[in-house]
Amino acid sequence: MALIPTATYQAPDIPHREFHPGDGPHTTSGTTTQISDHVINAGGEDRDKPTPHKDTPMGNLRAQLTTLQDQLNVFLTERMKLDKQGKSNEQELERKILDEAEDEEED
Amino acid sequence: MTVDLDKYLKPGKDHYIALGLEGSANKLGVGVIRHNQGQLTSSNRAEVLSNIRDTYIAPPGEGFLPRDTARHHRNWVVRVIKRALAVAKIKGTDIDVICFTQGPGMGSPLQSVVIAARTLAQLWKIPLMGVNHCVGHIEMGREITGADNPVVLYVSGGNTQVIAYSKQRYRIFGETLDIAIGNCLDRFARTLKIPNEPAPGYNIEQMAKKGKHLVNLPYTVKGMDLSMSGILANIDSIAKDMFGKQNKQLIDEETGEPITAEDLCFSLQEILFSMLVEITERALAHVNSNQVLIVGGVGSNQRLQEMMKLMIEDRKNGQIYATDERFCIDNGIMIAHAGLLSYRMGQVTDLDHTVCTQRFRTDEVFVEWRDD
Repeated sequence: MALIPTATYQAPDIPHREFHPGDGPHTTSGTTTQISDHVINAGGEDRDKPTPHKDTPMGNLRAQLTTLQDQLNVFLTERMKLDKQGKSNEQELERKILDEAEDEEED
Repeated sequence: MTVDLDKYLKPGKDHYIALGLEGSANKLGVGVIRHNQGQLTSSNRAEVLSNIRDTYIAPPGEGFLPRDTARHHRNWVVRVIKRALAVAKIKGTDIDVICFTQGPGMGSPLQSVVIAARTLAQLWKIPLMGVNHCVGHIEMGREITGADNPVVLYVSGGNTQVIAYSKQRYRIFGETLDIAIGNCLDRFARTLKIPNEPAPGYNIEQMAKKGKHLVNLPYTVKGMDLSMSGILANIDSIAKDMFGKQNKQLIDEETGEPITAEDLCFSLQEILFSMLVEITERALAHVNSNQVLIVGGVGSNQRLQEMMKLMIEDRKNGQIYATDERFCIDNGIMIAHAGLLSYRMGQVTDLDHTVCTQRFRTDEVFVEWRDD
């Protein structure tokens, strides 16, 4: 029996979004779960790689789950970036209003 | 009065087996412990069936970052558990309780390890028990050394506390006000770019053995507490003067000989350890005890043990207890042991309450298994 992991995401602006690992190929070496660049740049080596998956239902589930995790990580990071941008736009607006008000007083 | 530890023994069994998972910092530890029925005494000791550890090592000059440490734990935990079970010669279903470190420690490494604990508990239908890391150190130290009611000096990379037992709590008599002693030593090791393998503190200890000139550093005991961040800043700036662009040569005032990196390591250890000895001695006087138990990673430092011994020998019937690196440095077996003690009192942690916490003070734990 094939085990396929899926995930759903809901938020006020996204009523329903589904994630599916797709056809693959899948591996346990996820793109978003690698060793950090900081460690590599400091001369570290990656001694902590995950073991490759076995060709069993559980092993394949592990690999597909890693693909799914990558999709979620990319999606959520993007959402966080947008959120941050939104906040900084708000702050920019606030700063402008305050600064302009200040300018008027100086004049 | 002694506490009955066997009220919850499963019918038809004469022993308990616990699996312990530790991952609050850069060590991933898995241990299997066995308690036979009855009180733990000198003739009925807890039996260590396996005690496996794998350490995340950062490159020289770097500390371990939460993200990469957690990744290390996640990617090794299954392999290490398999090895621990194989060495202990048991099956998953032989286990009575799965114990895990609930805190204190680094958030993401803790979270990575508890996921393994939860998964196994559900897979094998075994109860979980969350353990306070500090209490794990204390209970394992007591069990290994046979010290019954010592003042505990808990010194490691993340913690520095002087603890004494009173009325079913391990009470904190003195502690660091800022950074932990191991953190202070490790960070100085980073300044000197000493390798992190096998442990930065161990490498400092080896260098300190070759040092002989004491460099003047601040001595900062504040009542029963101590502060170490200022000492670190001070010695860091001395090291930067010596090995930085200035290349300043420092001279020992008494002998006129040049100060070396070894001398700095020696001086840092002497000052920090003197401070620890002072507050420990004061705690001994407070609780009228003559036993000291040193636990935690820095506790394996032989110079610290030696200095503490000099102090304790001046007290009547003074005794010092310390363990070797297998039990001093973070390990899974201490979590299994402390968790099993709670389990034997009928405590378990429901799945909903297995969330880990970075802040979990030693005196928050109700020590139900002791009543003296």
